[in-house]
Amino acid sequence: MEKLLKEKDEEYVRQLFEQNLKDPVELVLFLEKEDGERLNHFNEQYQPYIEEIAKEISSISDKVKLTVHKGNLEKEKEYGVKNISALFVEGKNTNKNVVYYGMPSGHEFSSVLEDIIDVSRGETDLNLSIKETVKRISSNVEILVFVTPTCPYCPKAVRTAHQFAMENKLINGIMVEATEFPEWSKKYSVYGVPKIIINDKVQFEGAVPESAFLNSIYEALGIKIVL
Amino acid sequence: MSDFDFSFNNEDPEKKNLDQNVIYDIVIIGAGPGGLTAAIYAGRSRLNTIVLEKVSAGGQIAVSDWVENYPGFPDGISGRELVERFKKQAEKFGAKIIINEVLSIRKEKNLFYLNTESVEIKTKSVILSTGSEPVKLPVPEEEKFRGKGISYCATCDAAFFKDKIVCVIGGGDTALHETVYLSKLARKVILMHRRNKFRAAKMLQEELFANPKVEFKLGYVPIRILGNKRVEGIEIENVETHQRENLSVDGIFGAIGEKPNSELVNNLVELTERGFVKTDEDKETSLKGLFAVGDVTDTPLRQVVTACSDGAIAVTSAEKYMRDLER
Repeated sequence: MEKLLKEKDEEYVRQLFEQNLKDPVELVLFLEKEDGERLNHFNEQYQPYIEEIAKEISSISDKVKLTVHKGNLEKEKEYGVKNISALFVEGKNTNKNVVYYGMPSGHEFSSVLEDIIDVSRGETDLNLSIKETVKRISSNVEILVFVTPTCPYCPKAVRTAHQFAMENKLINGIMVEATEFPEWSKKYSVYGVPKIIINDKVQFEGAVPESAFLNSIYEALGIKIVL
Repeated sequence: MSDFDFSFNNEDPEKKNLDQNVIYDIVIIGAGPGGLTAAIYAGRSRLNTIVLEKVSAGGQIAVSDWVENYPGFPDGISGRELVERFKKQAEKFGAKIIINEVLSIRKEKNLFYLNTESVEIKTKSVILSTGSEPVKLPVPEEEKFRGKGISYCATCDAAFFKDKIVCVIGGGDTALHETVYLSKLARKVILMHRRNKFRAAKMLQEELFANPKVEFKLGYVPIRILGNKRVEGIEIENVETHQRENLSVDGIFGAIGEKPNSELVNNLVELTERGFVKTDEDKETSLKGLFAVGDVTDTPLRQVVTACSDGAIAVTSAEKYMRDLER
């Protein structure tokens, strides 16, 4: 396959990683076997590309390691994989809770790079008071963020969900590329992005400030807070 | 399938490393064409400048599929690519674009204090380039169906309406551009406008009149949205005969005008009745040292090229303002 990253973009990523990476990061990619029965019209076309882009990203820095599991049901169970493909960004502060379902291309590509940097540094740039409130959450929270690659408002929502997940191991931050998973999108009536669903209870559309996002999490947990 | 895009665009990996201890020369709020042009000029003037952006660089032009009226690009350019070029040019001259929301502004003794999502920063002058956003459709069910068939961003949401029937409401450039874009994916696009003529550029009109997928409803207004959990249709009314009819549609895209993002300054500067920021010919607002450019201002034309022009003027004016302060 021809390289997906253009030379100048690869150089940009190299500089970005050199300046910002600290601790090792592991990208864990779940795919189906080439003849696997879970391959369908959609992920069959996407699989080779997501594997290629993950390889290219990890080849840029020694600090980014890639592990690919193909049809490994046991590992999928361990990670709580919901669909194929799934890409986890793992580091010492994460808990298999920063994940991308489907291809993180277009506007989402930068989200992956920023996640890698945050996970490697072991810190996010969330506002301090937000950070502290996020850390205090003591129940399981699942945040689904449905996106399309052509949506410029979506990365803000994805990054907020992922940063919350990096701050609290009970929070699962999940990006879903809506066009790649039509059934999944249909289940949550996604006709506009970004669409955010928290614990199957609270949902909203659009990129909102971190404080409003956090309020929605508390709403899903049945708690009212004043930030 | 090979057209995945892994180039760099909107989100900037720049951290929120705002310096609380320095006094910036100019803080630009909003990284659309006006703000980024201001950043280019400010960078070249060696002013200590940062651009704060709430969501992602580009503003509304980033969701424009294709820009054909910006000089220098005879074949047109995608909104996203144009933004990327503005950004690169601004960064080349030292501009820092930071994703961070400004929550409030106050001025004390010739200094502006900006309270952001992270820290409070100080600056001698401010350029407000917060742009505008689409006016919501005036139907009672708007909130219920927003994101469930009602959309204001064709590039974001067109994928959900492949081979479906959608209705675009509006008569300006934006409405017609969205119609062109949607017609590539949808089975049929109904373009509805309350007047009998479009305001949009003649060339765009001609393009649509020749498009077999586009149907026109001129002289109609929306009354209510039909559907249970999502949009299934729309009831419309003829403005002259007041006759009503129902159209079966899967999606509705609103492009009926712009609402200024001026909440940040509504207690600080003079606004028009509709909330647009009043400026003089130097792009200065009624508050000295606070300048405003582009879509958020009371301007006769909201285009990329006019926003850019405003940005250049505002920096020159801000420089003069700061020189006068030092005297």
